[in-house]
Amino acid sequence: MKRLFHHSGRILPALLLSVLGHIPHSIAAVETFTDEASGLLSWRAQHPGFSLQFIQLLPDYVRAVYSGRGLPPKVVELMAGYCMFGTIIKNESDGPLAYRVADWRYITADGQSHPVKTKTQWLADWQDMGVAFRWSLLPDDQQFAPGDWSQGFTTLPLAPDTVFKLKYQWTQQGEIHEGIFEDLRCAPAEAPDV
Amino acid sequence: MFDRCLALILVLCAPFGLLHAELPSPELSHELNRLATPVAAPDFSLEDLDGEQQALSDYHGKVIMLNFWATWCPPCRREIPSMESIYQDLGDKGFVVLGVNEFETPDHVFAYTGQLSVFPNFPILFDRDSKVSELYGVKGLPTTLLINKQGQVVYRAAGGRDFDHPEVRAIVSELLAEGDGGN
Repeated sequence: MKRLFHHSGRILPALLLSVLGHIPHSIAAVETFTDEASGLLSWRAQHPGFSLQFIQLLPDYVRAVYSGRGLPPKVVELMAGYCMFGTIIKNESDGPLAYRVADWRYITADGQSHPVKTKTQWLADWQDMGVAFRWSLLPDDQQFAPGDWSQGFTTLPLAPDTVFKLKYQWTQQGEIHEGIFEDLRCAPAEAPDV
Repeated sequence: MFDRCLALILVLCAPFGLLHAELPSPELSHELNRLATPVAAPDFSLEDLDGEQQALSDYHGKVIMLNFWATWCPPCRREIPSMESIYQDLGDKGFVVLGVNEFETPDHVFAYTGQLSVFPNFPILFDRDSKVSELYGVKGLPTTLLINKQGQVVYRAAGGRDFDHPEVRAIVSELLAEGDGGN
């Protein structure tokens, strides 16, 4: 895994968001990595006691995961059509921490803010399609004790290679925090040349 | 037969990154979180790899590590050797590990365990419809619970752990040393 660059978030927009939203914006050290084997990108935001990681997933990988679980082809193709990330959330603090995907927003190039589809919403769709599988997606919300962490897929209805921002929130020691990934990018349609 | 072949191909390909470079693996932590109030562990009965039914109550009086997992979950795979290690060392002292697999078939899991460098000797149970994980309020995999001799959930951990860590061993040993009647 090669580190591409390291920077602190863009401070001015972040502070403006904080003032407007009345939520303390936590400045993250954001790192971007390129996987040398696959050429895929991942991003990690490191806040005091909290880290969040987004990892590009190829449509073919998504197909393999869901077909391997026996999901019907129409569901497999539906999932592979989404911009999908592996997401890892860690409580690295010595106190409780919580998050709710319903509080997260992705911001497209036109400046529009959109809610992130939750696992509960997906499970309702899957149930309508006759699927009982309820794993792989990032849980809607979790209460973490020290040392707890979780991973799962996050889905966005965006085309391959789309660049967007992601605003995320979490609660730490009873206080709501907010951070932003400035330039996440959906995985390409096919594996990049490496 | 086709299912078995497909399962074997997926099991063999995924770990070697033929389909995708696997998600980066964060270091496994070792903290187990003691519940403020122990909760009675609901009983259940599930099929094991041999097709036999095993109930949680079959293990009453033992200290139980109840681990919810799946083969496609990277941290689940990473913590298996540490579970096997602590099971080997403390299994004859009244400690048992129950690996509750989510939504997969015995054929698939059997093919998977055959590829592991450390074969899990602890019982693997099949929660094919995820009813048991729902019963225990499990939101993500892996999740691990420690159940004391009185059948109460006393520790919980979300996310992968190194169960071979001295602090985890100390917790399990402490639970093993407790009398059957008290906390």
